Amino acid sequence: MSPQHGSQPIQHQFNPYSDNGGTLLGIAGEDFAILASDTRQSVDYSINTRLSHKIKVISPPVTKEMKLESTDIVGTKNSVLFGTNGFSADGDALTKAFEENWKWYVHDQNSNVETGFEFLNENNEEKESFMSMQSAARNVQHLLYGKRFFPYYVHTILAGLDEEGKGCVYSFDPVGSYEREQCRVGGAGASLIMPFLDNQVNFKNQYIPGTNSTERRKIEYLSLDECLKLVKDAFTSVTERHITVGDGLEIFIIDKNGVRSEYHALKKD
Amino acid sequence: MSQQDPSTINGGIVVAMTGKDCVAIACDLRLGSQSLGVANNFEKIHQYGKVFIGFTGLATDALTLSADLKYKHNLYKLKENRGIQPEVFANLISSTLYEKRFGPYFSTPVVAGLSEKTGEPYVAGFDCIGCIDAARDFIVAGTASDQLFGMCEALYEPNLESEDLFETISQALLNAADRDAISGWGAAVYMITKDKVTKTYLKTRQD
Amino acid sequence: MNHDPYSWGRPSDAMYGQYNNAIANAPNTLEHHSSGSNFNENTTRPIVTGTSVIAIKYKTGVVIAADNLASYGSLLRFQGIERLHKVGKTTVVGISGDVSDMQHLLTILDQLEMENNYDNDEYSDNVDELQPSYIFEYLANLMYHRRSKMNPLWNALIVSGVDSKTGKPFLEYVNLLGVKYASPSIATGFGSHLAIPLLRKLADSEEEAAELTLEQAKKGIKDSMKVLFYRDTRSSKNYSLAVIDKDTGIAYDNNVDVEDMSWKFAKDITGYGTQRV
Repeated sequence: MSPQHGSQPIQHQFNPYSDNGGTLLGIAGEDFAILASDTRQSVDYSINTRLSHKIKVISPPVTKEMKLESTDIVGTKNSVLFGTNGFSADGDALTKAFEENWKWYVHDQNSNVETGFEFLNENNEEKESFMSMQSAARNVQHLLYGKRFFPYYVHTILAGLDEEGKGCVYSFDPVGSYEREQCRVGGAGASLIMPFLDNQVNFKNQYIPGTNSTERRKIEYLSLDECLKLVKDAFTSVTERHITVGDGLEIFIIDKNGVRSEYHALKKD
Repeated sequence: MSQQDPSTINGGIVVAMTGKDCVAIACDLRLGSQSLGVANNFEKIHQYGKVFIGFTGLATDALTLSADLKYKHNLYKLKENRGIQPEVFANLISSTLYEKRFGPYFSTPVVAGLSEKTGEPYVAGFDCIGCIDAARDFIVAGTASDQLFGMCEALYEPNLESEDLFETISQALLNAADRDAISGWGAAVYMITKDKVTKTYLKTRQD
Repeated sequence: MNHDPYSWGRPSDAMYGQYNNAIANAPNTLEHHSSGSNFNENTTRPIVTGTSVIAIKYKTGVVIAADNLASYGSLLRFQGIERLHKVGKTTVVGISGDVSDMQHLLTILDQLEMENNYDNDEYSDNVDELQPSYIFEYLANLMYHRRSKMNPLWNALIVSGVDSKTGKPFLEYVNLLGVKYASPSIATGFGSHLAIPLLRKLADSEEEAAELTLEQAKKGIKDSMKVLFYRDTRSSKNYSLAVIDKDTGIAYDNNVDVEDMSWKFAKDITGYGTQRV
């Protein structure tokens, strides 16, 4: 029976997703972490904008003293660098949801003890408490898995400092599987950049010269400058070969002094 | 199982790079049937005189195409009484593939060689219906072509000496293969210079 | 007289011929009547539609335009439908896509504006007056919320204006999926293919937009509307143009016509335009 005659209504399903391209990259160093992304947002073959922000710095208030030390600080060392890549509407929604959770968590942690119960705070500590990276990561898992059957179509990467002050990167699949890693790329350029990072960050397939490929090159932490070079190389390379990556590169660096950001132009073609 | 992409059943990759008076071409050694590994000695690079061609894609088509090109290369030698130039071979491959425009071989070859007259390195790649991509830097092909593109674009620089080119192409191949479940299981690198060709097997992960 | 309410107010068969349901897979609602219960009442496709909206920022404001046509498939159904809407004192919202969904949005925006006015009269605390960014945030949340219920409003919106406190130009986009972005120039639909290249030539970055004069911006928009009328079959010559400036406020003209057209090129077009026979 032809579908036009109404006996069998034609199923026209609304597609609630789109692919907005782009690439997201996180590297953890010894006492710092980097989260970087390109700033292009596209759909099909159209560039929506050359300056969109896929990374949000979720930070406690930046104090005047911190600003004095360096003017370009955009977050404290207790910040969570939150990046999403994929379907941008879901990315924005997830970022907003996490931010909300983060704010309430920090608020609850720091809210004063009820009058008459001060003895509970034995040492009378005034220390401010923040959300640790591992707690942030677990919370993101819950947010993602909460929509297991109508997923947020995004690859999520968090970067920050762990409770020992070491750099850390957490990466998530769309439904909340996650892992702490030294480095991770998400999004359109992931397949191009990931092997490069295996090679240059974790020294995969590198052996000590003269040992006839019997002794692996030992893994060691890279310096911040080395990491930034890798990030820029990775993005210029993937810009060359992937159509949805380009326009600009936004890099966030978190260390004991706080968060600062860099912007570099990428090719606009 | 009923509908599958023929070009990703067997798995495997090939990459070629130009250097200073030298050219290199490399491949992995795996032959698989989807996720099942079948052989770890499946060399994808074949030699025709001084021209080297790597075949990725559907293994049966790669072999058929290779045999057809061997036949055509022999006829060429018989007719012309000389070896074939890489650029000429590239055009021969192109027309061979295009003959099957509407029922193509599911193979994407890569050519590498030195031009006899000028000594210039030559590399070229194709899609499965014969469109030539004569790049001046590098050519990648196979199931980990995305990974190879990323590696090559980041590691490659022009006019490398043969020792450095060897290291570059090897690292590009190895790290790309390690991020592809159906590539790897050994690797071979050919380094082609004016007066010698060396073939090196690389140590790779075996998973 | 036809007593089925379904056909009231619709193009009559006598005038336009039997409606062909095969076009755009439109449902035959008469049959849906009889099929009774649970048929889908969500918007699954746009019916009466408005085409592109285009806008660009300049030094002290934004220029935005959209034509006044509402199409029903290829039929030019309503020729006096305004698709630019003033909200508050410094915002203009341009809407493309389904016109009934647009009108639904307008009732919501009207309410929003009314509530805000009540909170701003002489008897109440003066709350913030509506800024373009507030209106955008509201609409973006609404659009994403509706898509998440699998019941989208089938539109692409451009919110333009100036912040009345900072004087900064505002321009942002959101569509039926809840995808949003800001850019010095924005266009919906065909405009993103035909107008954006022209507008990006004027200003490809915020820095360049901050150097653009009103005259340059206006000319860019007018030229783009002309190109759209040339090439977008669902566009009309008559359009609305709004300028939102931090100093002079909103200047809205709902009756602009495409000017200085030249159709000389048309006689040379044969087939798909590449052949010269």
